[in-house]
Amino acid sequence: METVGFLLDGIFTSLQWFNLVLLIFGCLIGLFVGAMPGLGSVNGVAILIPITFIIPPTAAIIFLAAVYYGAMYGGAISSVMLGIPGASTAVATVFDGRPLAVKGEAMTALTAAAVGSFVGGTVSVILFTLFAPPLAEVALRFNAPETFALMVMAFATFVGLGGDDVPKTIFSILIGLALSTIGLDLITGKPRLIFFNIPGFLHGINFLVLAIGIYGIGEMLWTLEETKGKVQMSKLSVNMKEVGRAFGALKKTIMAMNIGSFLGFFVGILPAAGATPASLMSYGITKQLSKNSKEFGEGVPAGVVAPECANNSASTGSMLPMLTLGIPGSPTTAILLGGMILWGLTPGPLLFTQEPEFVWGLIGSLYIANFFTLVLNIALIPAFLMVLRIPFAILAPVIFVLCVTGGYAPTQSLHDVWLMLLFGIAGYILRKLDYPVAPAVLSIVLGPLAEKALRQSLILSDGSMGIFFDISEKPIAAVIMYIAIVLLIMPAFGPLYRRFYKKKQTA
Amino acid sequence: MSITNKITVKRAEIAVAVILALCSIALMIKSAENRITWNAEENMGAGFLPFYLSLGMLICTILTIIKFVLKRSPQSKDDNPFIDAVAFKFIAVTIISLVVLVLAIGYLGIYFSLIFFLAFYLRYFSEKSIAFITIFAITTPILTFLFFEWMLKIPLPQGISEPLFYPVYDFMYGGFSFAVKMIFIILTVVLPTALVFLTTRFIK
Amino acid sequence: MSIIKKLALVVVSLSLVAVSSVSSAKPFSPKKPVELIIPAGQGGGADEIARLVQGVIEKNDYASKPVIPINKSGGSGGEAMTYVKKKAGDEHTLIITLNNVLTTPVNQPELGIDFFNDFTPLARLITDTFLVWIATEGKNTAGVETFDDFIDLAKGNGLVMGGTGSMSEDELLLGMMRGQFGFDAKYVPYSGGGAVAKGLVGGESDFTLNNPSEQMGFYQSGDSKALVMMTPERNPAFPEVPSSYELGYPDLEYYMMRAFMAPAGIDAEVEKYYTGLLHTVYHDDEFQTFNIDDGKLMSWLEGFGLKDFLAIEYEKHGEIIKNFN
Repeated sequence: METVGFLLDGIFTSLQWFNLVLLIFGCLIGLFVGAMPGLGSVNGVAILIPITFIIPPTAAIIFLAAVYYGAMYGGAISSVMLGIPGASTAVATVFDGRPLAVKGEAMTALTAAAVGSFVGGTVSVILFTLFAPPLAEVALRFNAPETFALMVMAFATFVGLGGDDVPKTIFSILIGLALSTIGLDLITGKPRLIFFNIPGFLHGINFLVLAIGIYGIGEMLWTLEETKGKVQMSKLSVNMKEVGRAFGALKKTIMAMNIGSFLGFFVGILPAAGATPASLMSYGITKQLSKNSKEFGEGVPAGVVAPECANNSASTGSMLPMLTLGIPGSPTTAILLGGMILWGLTPGPLLFTQEPEFVWGLIGSLYIANFFTLVLNIALIPAFLMVLRIPFAILAPVIFVLCVTGGYAPTQSLHDVWLMLLFGIAGYILRKLDYPVAPAVLSIVLGPLAEKALRQSLILSDGSMGIFFDISEKPIAAVIMYIAIVLLIMPAFGPLYRRFYKKKQTA
Repeated sequence: MSITNKITVKRAEIAVAVILALCSIALMIKSAENRITWNAEENMGAGFLPFYLSLGMLICTILTIIKFVLKRSPQSKDDNPFIDAVAFKFIAVTIISLVVLVLAIGYLGIYFSLIFFLAFYLRYFSEKSIAFITIFAITTPILTFLFFEWMLKIPLPQGISEPLFYPVYDFMYGGFSFAVKMIFIILTVVLPTALVFLTTRFIK
Repeated sequence: MSIIKKLALVVVSLSLVAVSSVSSAKPFSPKKPVELIIPAGQGGGADEIARLVQGVIEKNDYASKPVIPINKSGGSGGEAMTYVKKKAGDEHTLIITLNNVLTTPVNQPELGIDFFNDFTPLARLITDTFLVWIATEGKNTAGVETFDDFIDLAKGNGLVMGGTGSMSEDELLLGMMRGQFGFDAKYVPYSGGGAVAKGLVGGESDFTLNNPSEQMGFYQSGDSKALVMMTPERNPAFPEVPSSYELGYPDLEYYMMRAFMAPAGIDAEVEKYYTGLLHTVYHDDEFQTFNIDDGKLMSWLEGFGLKDFLAIEYEKHGEIIKNFN
């Protein structure tokens, strides 16, 4: 119960007025940075590290936590309002958030995102407080074979995500994976697929480039064609009735909240996984388990809740490997880790016992940040909805500007802006011909993680695939692998089962 | 009979499938620059995965082509134009202006390129007044600058316009008080933005 | 269209004014924020030093413009080096080095990087050391107390070594040790020193060649232990770990240098300014304390001394790579 005391201390510290002002300021910065395509919490946190030399460490942590959480929420805003994922963690939010906004239910989507995020954040703080030490042990035992099994499971959850045309869906998955192999091969140290020896390919293809290209540029071209530039967005009224309706829609998303919170936290604590795979997996599983899984992708609140819940839950979870193992699960935690080292804290198993004030202060302020971001978000929904009132002819160039800066900023290279443009145009044409684009985006995210884990495992096992199925040597990997295989096969048996069932009924 | 009518969905489908097949082959050849074998003695070569992934892509495109030939996909029977003439014009103008924008960013720098891009695009697609467009086209790059370079400290490409920003940097990082800087921001950002809002309301 | 013409006129005239006002002679100081290129990802050793330098400069107002760290981790530093090469003559770009600046030009000749002519070395601030680490409860290394125990064990069994990526410093080091001690190990690359350290403690690998800071957390908690430090002397941060000289292996000496370079073709004035700036940072109390606590060696080197050092190291690494292949 000592930890609860430290946690409460952390919470009360964040509630002092100076810290509170910092917190709200941090949330706003985070929201804004998160909502900008291509920029995420990593940018917000990076600029703040030098500032934290000037303000006291406690205040600095609170500030950083606020920015971190703000950005997690902010990503959803541009996913819903503009159809461009604001951050990598919000890619899955586009799948249903955007269709909802187009249907005129942006209010519902934003409310779902905000409440989902809050629930995810809350559950993860509780889990963190109760189970941090044993979970750190799990994270430590989670090595290459386990990671690969998890990635296979992630892919298995996406089986249902493609379109009706099977070869085109598989093509989309494969091209995403193939694009993800561009750059330096970690295992052999050899450059791969460096087309025309352009140095820009050396850093590989950042999946944000693909996502912004397809969902930003591609989507704009699509809208331009549909509307011929003469679009008038529907007038949205924000009144209490609408708010009530939006909250009412959340009743049906309890399952998504559960899946998102728990799965998100679990994937988040695994080293090298982090919030992006967590949100994608949560979306995939929620869709598969949902009774109306056909409606996913056309705008259901559960499709927004699941990834948003998961990415917030995972972002708290990913503090665990950072604090106890010194392994950052994301660029943001990497910078945070750098900051910790600069403050004279050594991440490692002893951090929880030697610096409990720091650890629980961080978690406490994450929680308070979570709460304030929810309040800010709900309060700002009318402001976000103003975006929909901007005439398309003005919104379109602004979105293009956001895409260009967003494509440039993460890697600081114009090469990526060209690629983004190319992906946008190609994505638009392919989408018109019924090639599903979402599988490509998913596989470019998971591809590098999966490849690395696969090849590390194969080195360890001298090339034998048996390492993934040996239940006595690697029980975790084997169990996950078998679940993944069942998930992969299930959709194939679905129709058979239904046919059989029907026959029995008619007989 | 314009060109957009000649490009039917049917033709686009087969053309895209063939192009993708060619791309897959190119990827396979490129992957083969690294070792593509995997056997008991040696670990998986660097080219193994990309090679077989692109082989898979090739098989998928061939399946698509077979489905096309057998007329099994909806696209293979669709004689409607792939894109209608009006939309084509809009999309072509958008794509070309974006390409010009990115070209210009490399040379002229992002801030000035944006001014031209926004001015052109708004003039072409919207019915806003020149006054509105001017203010809008100038305010957006200023906001972009303040947000990226000042707040986030992310340098954006400036090309040949770089020396123009030296005085601005001197001001930003010079010993001016916070108040002076705020007044500056208000003058450069808030006023034009307010003007944009006013003009949207009253000028159209 | 007339508006565009007018704007173009304004731009042209403004740039003329700006260009003419810049070319007056004054002692150099940066005119815009200085880009500090990091040829590695976020969270690594180079990143840590770069952000520390940024923080120290900003906190104490050592420079008139901020230093902005930019990670360009592609191609083992190849991307960063190509970028800096293209920036020849640019007065607002710096690069922090890992040893990959010595190996990448050799390993990837297609990049066309000429180590001696594409960069202006400014100063070396720190050298980082390497240690041989095993897990305290490692199942294959049970009973290993000293480095000699370890060599005996490693000779007989194919141990697994976790490392930071193929052809990176630690794999070259493994190659060196293979030549010296006659044992080989299975090399498993991870992404980053932190992941390597975790792989060791998590039981996936049997030993690693980590920098001190990467293992510090596990070292303090007693989960991992170091057998030898590849330096002539013991390090105050690890008082009980013997040096390789003590154990009688003076050939087992290897360092990671943290130096700063600028692009080629900058004025002597500019070079002097940045070297001076780095010197100020080097003597900053906070900078010193942080690095010494972290087990790093403070080793200032500039001018001809640095150039000689780099030439020797470049030669040495070329040799190691040749032997490795």
